[in-house]
Amino acid sequence: MIPEIGYFSLVLAMALSLLLCIFPLWGAHTGNLRLMRAAPSLAVGQCVFVLLAFAILIYITLTDDFTVAYVAHHSSSTLPWYYKVTSTWGGHEGAILLWLVMQTLWTAVVALMSNSLPWILRARVLGVLGFLGVGFMLYTLWMSSPFERLLPYYPVEGRDLNPLLQDPGMIIHPPLLYMGYVGLSVSFAFAIAALLTGKLDNTWAKWSRPWTMAAWGFLTLGITIGSWWAYSELGWGGWWFWDPVENASLMPWLVATALLHSLSATEKRGVFKSWTVLLAITAFSLCLLGTFIVRSGIIVSVHAFATDPDRGLYILMFLAVVVGGSLALYAARVAQVKSEGRYQFLSREVALWINNIFLVVAMLVVLLGTLLPMIHKELGLGSISIGVPFFNQMFAILIVPFAILLGLAPMLRWKQNKLSPLVKKWLLLSVVTLVITSAWLFGNYEVVAPLTFIGTALAVWIVLLTLFDLMQKVTVQNTISEGVKRLGVSYWAMVSGHIGIAFVIAGVTLTSAYSVERSVRMLPGETATLNEYVYRFEGVKEIVGPNYTGHAGVVSVLKNNKLVIELHAEKRLYNIGMQFMTEAAIDDGFFRDLYLALGEQLTQGAWSLRIYHKPYVRWMWLGGLLIALAGFIVITDKRYRKTSAPSEQQGVGA
Amino acid sequence: MNRKLLGLIPFLIFILLCVFLYQGLFGNPRELQTGRIGHTMPSFTLPDLMDEQKQWQDKDLIGDVYLLNVWGTWCPTCIAELSYLTELKEQGVKIIGLYYEQAYDPDFGDQFDINKLRAEVQAMLARTGNPYQFNILDLNRTLALDLGVSGAPETFLVDKKGTILLHHTGDINQRVWRSKFAPKIMELTQ
Repeated sequence: MIPEIGYFSLVLAMALSLLLCIFPLWGAHTGNLRLMRAAPSLAVGQCVFVLLAFAILIYITLTDDFTVAYVAHHSSSTLPWYYKVTSTWGGHEGAILLWLVMQTLWTAVVALMSNSLPWILRARVLGVLGFLGVGFMLYTLWMSSPFERLLPYYPVEGRDLNPLLQDPGMIIHPPLLYMGYVGLSVSFAFAIAALLTGKLDNTWAKWSRPWTMAAWGFLTLGITIGSWWAYSELGWGGWWFWDPVENASLMPWLVATALLHSLSATEKRGVFKSWTVLLAITAFSLCLLGTFIVRSGIIVSVHAFATDPDRGLYILMFLAVVVGGSLALYAARVAQVKSEGRYQFLSREVALWINNIFLVVAMLVVLLGTLLPMIHKELGLGSISIGVPFFNQMFAILIVPFAILLGLAPMLRWKQNKLSPLVKKWLLLSVVTLVITSAWLFGNYEVVAPLTFIGTALAVWIVLLTLFDLMQKVTVQNTISEGVKRLGVSYWAMVSGHIGIAFVIAGVTLTSAYSVERSVRMLPGETATLNEYVYRFEGVKEIVGPNYTGHAGVVSVLKNNKLVIELHAEKRLYNIGMQFMTEAAIDDGFFRDLYLALGEQLTQGAWSLRIYHKPYVRWMWLGGLLIALAGFIVITDKRYRKTSAPSEQQGVGA
Repeated sequence: MNRKLLGLIPFLIFILLCVFLYQGLFGNPRELQTGRIGHTMPSFTLPDLMDEQKQWQDKDLIGDVYLLNVWGTWCPTCIAELSYLTELKEQGVKIIGLYYEQAYDPDFGDQFDINKLRAEVQAMLARTGNPYQFNILDLNRTLALDLGVSGAPETFLVDKKGTILLHHTGDINQRVWRSKFAPKIMELTQ
């Protein structure tokens, strides 16, 4: 009975979202204010019913109702309660329901927080979001209901949640990623509403910017935590695989990054208007494309989701309607848009434009690398595979000019700049960069490969120039505290984001260059040495978890004969699926991670162990957090919450 | 260039992409074009998984249409397909297992615990049903390498003369069986 209530609740939600799609759009078209006014309550209503359905799914999972197919396939009675909750998005149907939860939550938040918008724009934004809601709800009800029953023959025990997903990182990774994807649908809705209204002025850019920043922040967090999860859970210390599923989240991120830079130029200078709209459409389209790639089984991926051509066909149709429709609308309206800002070559506008080119090229590289094997095959040219080396090489080439520009650009003002004072500073700073990098690398390592040097220098360069620029801007005023106050919120966001990028570059470069590993066969009491650490194998003990049993290899890590830490590297056998899982033991540190994975049991009490020493690996995720922080800093900007700022009413470029 | 035409470019690219995505939806990415299709089984001499006295050779297999299923108890998808394979066996399909042991690493040069593995396999097959006529143990992965196996599960369809007709990557389920294997087998029996 209860699962049926869940299904019915989704039906009601879909009815409301149909109304949410039709009423405000029709109202905006005919100028009927009453229809437009219905939108916010409809948005809240659909959200309430979707939340109810989600709560019911959690409830039936917690109460082990194995008559429901989804619960029987993705949970079990022995699963700890928190993993039962997360199992509600561990499978396809539940993940789509989570998507719906996010979609309707964002829609409701937009509905409630947009009361300073003109009704005609507000109605159109909500109407577009309503349309997206209808698309996903129809999909859920029609082809992917999580409330399907297994009656009359149902199992007494569920098949358990995939052990790989039984990890804290996995609890928050999908919700964050979906927050990001769905958040980009808000930017998309703003862009479509602006195109429908025919007013592509900087007002829409201003409204759309905080939503885009928030969505991008969540997306950044989601990707960062996904990478961290892969590192801690997959057992061999890798952190990025260029897997189609990862690429599916990276592509919207790259475009969203381009979008938020372009948005700031559109908002402040009224330039790149049509380009910004195109980016907003593209970012969300890539989210949908990613979903299609992941869920349709079109590409072989290590993320083994249940695949089904009917589902793929539905998502493709939806993709065609949403993206095709909006690109057609774009084509129809773009000719009317005129850019009115004027600028010279050496200006922030041009720097942002080049930044956009790099980001879009990077996205195209990922897109081609992901889809080319399929296209190649469809053209009858045979199977090919594009792997990690292709992506690594392409990104290594792209990152160099990108990072150099990233350091320079914040120093440029809008419109125009004088070259000679800038060149003097840049030359000085590049010398300082080389000195610091050389001291850092040659002081610590015997061998420094050219690429390692370049990567590290780029990171140092970004940090130096960002800090130098910050210092310059702060000291312009009479006192430093006044200077700090004068800097806008988005400036601080930029500092955080750019330094975050520097940390990512440094982390990736140094951990790729100086990670070392050893596979050893050890008897209890034996030691192995890797870099300055000595690892003493103390033996193996049995462990019993709630739904698994296994062995934990106990290893004492010593440095200069002093105990640093005792690590427990586990090998678990999950009872229901009979799957073996390696649970690596990690001693994390700011400058290095010690990473230990227990291998096989060999004869005479010996075990194989893999030991990794990974310098600076944490910097990547620290960088990711700093970048995400930038997104959240921008939303605190009070400018976005004023009900009517004077500048909007004047409408700089309307 | 005309601004109107310029604005159409994203739309046109997208349409093109959609055409490929639509085609890709009905193609199968798991279908590998191995060089082995149409060739005969590579020659080998490998022991039986349950009895190392018993050695299997490529010529022992000639004379029957059979499936060669690459699997291991470490591989969750393989375990998932065991019950369907057992159903197929009950319908009269001859299935031979090629056991692929992932945990064994020759680099350690260590004795391999065959008895533990046998117990594990027996326990697993007792739970899911046993689809296999017998299992060949390919400890050093020589045959798997010759066949171009890239992972598990993978399944080869071999005819009476020992010619490889199909190479399927991923699990076998009812849909795959009906669309891919059954037509080939129908052809053979006609």
